[in-house]
Amino acid sequence: MIKVNVDGRAIEVGEGQSLLAVCLQQGIFIPHLCFLEGMPESPASCRLCFVDIQGEPAPVASCKVPPWDGMVVRTDTERVRRLQKSALRLLLSVHHVDCRNCPSNKKCVLQDLAKFLGVPLKSKKLEHLQREIGVELDHPLFQFVPERCVLCEKCIAVCRQHNDFSLLTFAKRGFNTVVTCFEKDPDRLPCSDCRACVEICPVSAIFLKNEAAEACLDQPPPFPDSP
Amino acid sequence: MKQANSDVLERFRTLIRQARQTVQESKEPGKPHIYIGMATCGLAAGATETKQAFEETLAERGIEARIIPVGCIGHCYGEPLVVIENPGFPAICYHKVTAGKAGALVRAFLEEGDPLFEYVLGALEENDLIPTVMDFPRFNLERRVVMADCGALDPENIDQYLAGGGYESLLKALEMTPEEVIQEIIDSGLRGRGGAGFPTGRKWQAARSADGSRKTVICNADEGDPGAYMDRTILESNPHQLLEGLAVCAYAVEAENAVIYVRAEYPLAVKMIRRAIDQAGQAGLLGAHILGTRFSLSVSVFEGSGAFVCGEETALIQSLEGKRGMPQHRPPYPVHKGLWQQPTVINNVKTLSSVPTIVKKGAAWYRQIGTQSSPGTAIFSVVGKVVHPGLVEIPMGTTLGRLIFEICGGIPNRKKFKAVQIGGPSGGCLPESFMDTPVDFDSLTQAGAMMGSGGMVVMDEDSCLVNVARFFIDFTQNESCGKCTFCRIGTRHILNILERITKGEGKEGDLETLRELSQDIKTASLCGLGKTAPNPILTSLEYFREEYQAHIREKRCPAMMCRALTAFYIDLDKCARGCDACVGSCPVDAIFTTKGRKKAIDQELCVKCGECMVACPTEYDAVGKVSPSELAPVIERPQEKAS
Amino acid sequence: MLKDIDEMLLTSEKKRENLIPILQRIQQRHAYLSPDAMKLVALHLGISSSEVYGVATFYNQFRFHPPGKHQIKVCLGTACHVVGGDIILENFERKLGIKDGETTPDREFSIERVACVGCCALAPVAVVDDVVQACMAPSKVEGILLGFDIERERDEREKQESEASQ
Repeated sequence: MIKVNVDGRAIEVGEGQSLLAVCLQQGIFIPHLCFLEGMPESPASCRLCFVDIQGEPAPVASCKVPPWDGMVVRTDTERVRRLQKSALRLLLSVHHVDCRNCPSNKKCVLQDLAKFLGVPLKSKKLEHLQREIGVELDHPLFQFVPERCVLCEKCIAVCRQHNDFSLLTFAKRGFNTVVTCFEKDPDRLPCSDCRACVEICPVSAIFLKNEAAEACLDQPPPFPDSP
Repeated sequence: MKQANSDVLERFRTLIRQARQTVQESKEPGKPHIYIGMATCGLAAGATETKQAFEETLAERGIEARIIPVGCIGHCYGEPLVVIENPGFPAICYHKVTAGKAGALVRAFLEEGDPLFEYVLGALEENDLIPTVMDFPRFNLERRVVMADCGALDPENIDQYLAGGGYESLLKALEMTPEEVIQEIIDSGLRGRGGAGFPTGRKWQAARSADGSRKTVICNADEGDPGAYMDRTILESNPHQLLEGLAVCAYAVEAENAVIYVRAEYPLAVKMIRRAIDQAGQAGLLGAHILGTRFSLSVSVFEGSGAFVCGEETALIQSLEGKRGMPQHRPPYPVHKGLWQQPTVINNVKTLSSVPTIVKKGAAWYRQIGTQSSPGTAIFSVVGKVVHPGLVEIPMGTTLGRLIFEICGGIPNRKKFKAVQIGGPSGGCLPESFMDTPVDFDSLTQAGAMMGSGGMVVMDEDSCLVNVARFFIDFTQNESCGKCTFCRIGTRHILNILERITKGEGKEGDLETLRELSQDIKTASLCGLGKTAPNPILTSLEYFREEYQAHIREKRCPAMMCRALTAFYIDLDKCARGCDACVGSCPVDAIFTTKGRKKAIDQELCVKCGECMVACPTEYDAVGKVSPSELAPVIERPQEKAS
Repeated sequence: MLKDIDEMLLTSEKKRENLIPILQRIQQRHAYLSPDAMKLVALHLGISSSEVYGVATFYNQFRFHPPGKHQIKVCLGTACHVVGGDIILENFERKLGIKDGETTPDREFSIERVACVGCCALAPVAVVDDVVQACMAPSKVEGILLGFDIERERDEREKQESEASQ
């Protein structure tokens, strides 16, 4: 067994898991968004799961670090929290914050993180930015709400797991990256009863269209913010 | 195990003998030889027309001479460059040879023996008649190792490379064990020229000792930095040197596959390297059983599709595998798990092109050049406001001041030096106080810039650092892959703030937000692109803070470059009645005639392109520029007469 | 077009790593990637068409609409920026009445911005139909476009004359 010390607590762990996974199992919360239990590789893209490891010059993403014997970890140092708050503020600055009309209200990962880190959902520090979508989102089966999407990649990962290849994809690049599906012919999509992407989405950014009504999507969300 | 034996040696000797003979035969003694630089820069400056003019005039005058297209020597300020070997004269280099000058040279020099001194840049060899190019600092302070033969060879002709000692290093490497080759590279202290300066020998060693059955060597020629083009020049001007280095590397790490990843935006470079691979394959220097040994290497070319981030090695690998070029977390490093999860060495063009000379002349020789921690030479593309822009190869450790003011001739038009941006979008802007800084990996990083791609943009007093910082962040945020939060969203916020500032809409507190965000992006981004993207902001904030403040507090751009804060006006005291020079130059018809039959600018229509300032005859010099724009005098347009 | 792509695909191996070279070849021959072309490629390589689309939209090189007959690429690299590359771009945009990334309604011209063609010492630079134009100025923009106008008029006149003579 590998012995690791996290925030002064000694824990024993087996091999083959990341530090983040181990901590979460032991009930030590580290903010995270793109990490998906059971997936072979974490994309390490959300940049939330930073921890300080003794001997490392800067905070590291715990989803990419295998625990080693004698590792000494702190999850709540000032610089770790600074980066986590900064990352969350950035994510919120492009998120359409309209919780009352969002199906994820009260079970939303962003709300949880904001509470944990003490970051207001509508930060005054950064302006709100809107993406240029520029990609055909109109789709017979899917309803995408890119203004909510945090690009955690979970929907793409579970789709790949269920279908061997992914019907969902990132399109475009950089700031304008969106999740979309290119195949427009419903007959060629094996989507009828697989709702994996819908269920995994932590922010209600993707629906199957026939379920859109119950998801309060009769009208596309107003943008920019209505008061 | 060593690969070379007497058969191999004999085979190689035959090859060299044949090449020398071919080169010898192609030279026609007694006839003039005209070498024209025909790489991308030369072509852009009109080398095709120059060549045509030579051909036509030669035919017209009935003079027999040979025209040989060659690569680029990196003296871009002088393009199109032509070297003429006329029997009875030293070889002479001419610069800015337009079609007209080409015709004149044939008539005067080839026909009548007058070398036309006014067009001469310098002779290439010592003589009593003409000063040599080595009398100029642009030549004699350079030290050419990697680019030694660029512009002297026909890149489409392997025989020329072979006749000059080419592929001898590959032979020498085959006479050594792979371990010995790696040791030689380690001893030479060669560091990766891609930017970060990782020791090349150690990278090779790691890949060699890594487990894997299908190792690959990748040459990274995805030169994406806007402002650097040395990799392109090397590919276009001396592709075989690169292939030789690639082969030595593959032999050392025991790889049988090599890929050259070139930008698709470099069509000529792609063509040249493809041709070189074919020729080397035919000569038995690449492909199966090189020179009859058991070492085989297949080399392919992959054209990058335009994504700066693919210069990052993990993203480059994703792209080669046919995926979106998104960087991956390191470790694992590509030397352990790279292309198809196999050990992969990724080296830059300049790194691999340095290898043949190191193997040939030895590690000790290489260490004499440069500094203790950064041996060898550095290649910079010095552009912007300098007298002699172009590619410069200098020993590491040369000071910035010497590079900019002595070698590149300083700032033109008696303007003042303001800053130099080193290392492209990932580098930093350094002010005059850094002119004594030696150019090497560690000193530049310490100064807040970095060696990066070797792009160097010199700026004079007319360049606005806020504007330039905005330019770089605009570039990086455009090229961000969008994977990680900090780079994807953070750089966009920085861009927005800088855009506001350059438009005069900056707020108090913006600079603090800029600094904090930049630091977070630098620490927390996933890959090198994000981690280095804030460097131009952080350095310019540190060294040119007043300039930011002038934009925010006074709505003034001190360099008068930010167009929203600047206005052009015509000084009525200087403007000459009846002169119409500016009117025709204006692309938007913003210039009108005043009641006093002088000219004035309609500020509403003006797009601030500065053409009128260029067009105004120097004896009047009536067009001026002010910032903030409200300072421009308001002159009413006379009412149009009813027609 | 689809038939041609089908034939072309027969000659390329069904390997994922060939995706980008295949897309490059299609674009080289047909100037852009149509949705149907991307679906054919997906079918050939046995991957989802979404994946092909995702890869294609990642890279600057690929276009999804047919470009103009004459392609104007304005370099906005560092050296060009410092000497006013954006002014050159604006001039092309103004003269042609389109923005970068767009094509004129008559499909004659399209404008793209590129991030450095590597001719920094000759800045500002534009690439017009694969010919690098060095040391650009607003007046040169006008000259280049005028050249195309003259060429077009001449072509039309010749066409009319040849029709008349028949």
